[in-house]
Amino acid sequence: MSPLALLALLAVVEPTVPDYDIESLRVRYTQFAQTGLGYQSAAGPPGKPGSEWLRVEQPQAEVTARLGERVTERIWVPVDIVTAASPDHSRYGKPYDAVDTVTTASRTTPSSTLDTLTIYRVDRATDFTMRAAFHIEEPFESWIVGLGASRSFAEDNTVVGASANQILDWFDRFDLDGNRHGRATRSTTNVNVDVTQVLSPTTLANLSYGGTLQAGELGNTWQSVLLMGGDRGEERLPGHRWRHAAAARLAQWLPWQGALTLSYRLYLDSWGVAAHSAEGALAQRIYPGVVLRGSYRFHVQNAPGFFTISADPMASGFRTSDSDLGPFHAQTFGGAVIVDLPVARREHDLHVDIGYERYVRSDNLRVDITTCGLGVRF
Amino acid sequence: MTGRGLRRTLAALAAALALAASAAGCVVVPQNRRKHLADPMMRFQTDALEAHAHQKLYGSREAAAGGDGTPAGGGCACQ
Repeated sequence: MSPLALLALLAVVEPTVPDYDIESLRVRYTQFAQTGLGYQSAAGPPGKPGSEWLRVEQPQAEVTARLGERVTERIWVPVDIVTAASPDHSRYGKPYDAVDTVTTASRTTPSSTLDTLTIYRVDRATDFTMRAAFHIEEPFESWIVGLGASRSFAEDNTVVGASANQILDWFDRFDLDGNRHGRATRSTTNVNVDVTQVLSPTTLANLSYGGTLQAGELGNTWQSVLLMGGDRGEERLPGHRWRHAAAARLAQWLPWQGALTLSYRLYLDSWGVAAHSAEGALAQRIYPGVVLRGSYRFHVQNAPGFFTISADPMASGFRTSDSDLGPFHAQTFGGAVIVDLPVARREHDLHVDIGYERYVRSDNLRVDITTCGLGVRF
Repeated sequence: MTGRGLRRTLAALAAALALAASAAGCVVVPQNRRKHLADPMMRFQTDALEAHAHQKLYGSREAAAGGDGTPAGGGCACQ
């Protein structure tokens, strides 16, 4: 075949690459500013709870693209920059000096995840999803894979979904003196089912259940426990944990261009923790494309039987002083302004939102959360 | 909670989910009457990035993470 004929053939035969359309681009920046005291922290006077001060800067970016008629790809990159991921250690008499892992190595901890989700549309009513993600931070790596499926019934009035995820964590093991002792691993296996049902032209309901089994090293290995007499010992946690969470949600359209969403969540686990969370949000459109939203959440949990703030140094059982595992109730108050505007002759949508929330726990831990998001839908 | 109590609670949850699934089709609202349901204000979560920020907060500060379509723990030193 002559070169001229080959060129002519290439001009006639079209490549079979599927259509590739970017559907949306989104970025979000969130800052968490935390203050409080916890007994697992050694950053305080001997025998007293230590500081839990930290700040998290969290930029995120997400691209969603359609490849051909059946495949949608979502690529998402969240980054966390955590200051004082573990508080400075005072047991050496140097409350703000470097003592390797519990100070310098974690004074500023950047971490990042690359998370991809592929959605394959089998037919008009059925989707399959596949997730693959990798997370890295010093000294911690994590691999995540997941599969899911959803199917709609009754003219899309009912949608049933199920998914399963497997996570493997791989991280350095440290003692309280900051010495490294090889590697530790943790496995997390998770299954979820949910049903979303249209109840009326203005009411939507959702029920979900998620079960998780964790095995391996379930602590971070450098967290301390306050002992009788004021000294500190290492945290000891069981090697397995079964976790169950069920939630019911309701969304109700309000005739004055508003919407009310309510949810309740029940959590139980094999360590003996039971928790109840109730949340409500009220959204009101005050102008075409401009929405105000207010939200409130109440959470209450009990502690596992091995939680202590004064452990017997001679006892050999499980023990933790982690305030996050303690008995407390927490409230979150928040508000946001959300703007959605058509641009470029209404061919694209521009989304901007800014919000603030305050999380307050009964053990005096407080977190201020400020967030802003920007997105374009093509 | 005892093991028996946990099993009873889980059985009740499974029954509730099965009941919800079997109710599919009991209410059929035609597509042309679902415009309010499609309004972004009716979403249970505004967007995935904001949902991640909430998971970051509650997953690391409370002992009750997990479910909701995402694993509990893993990926960080969270409880």
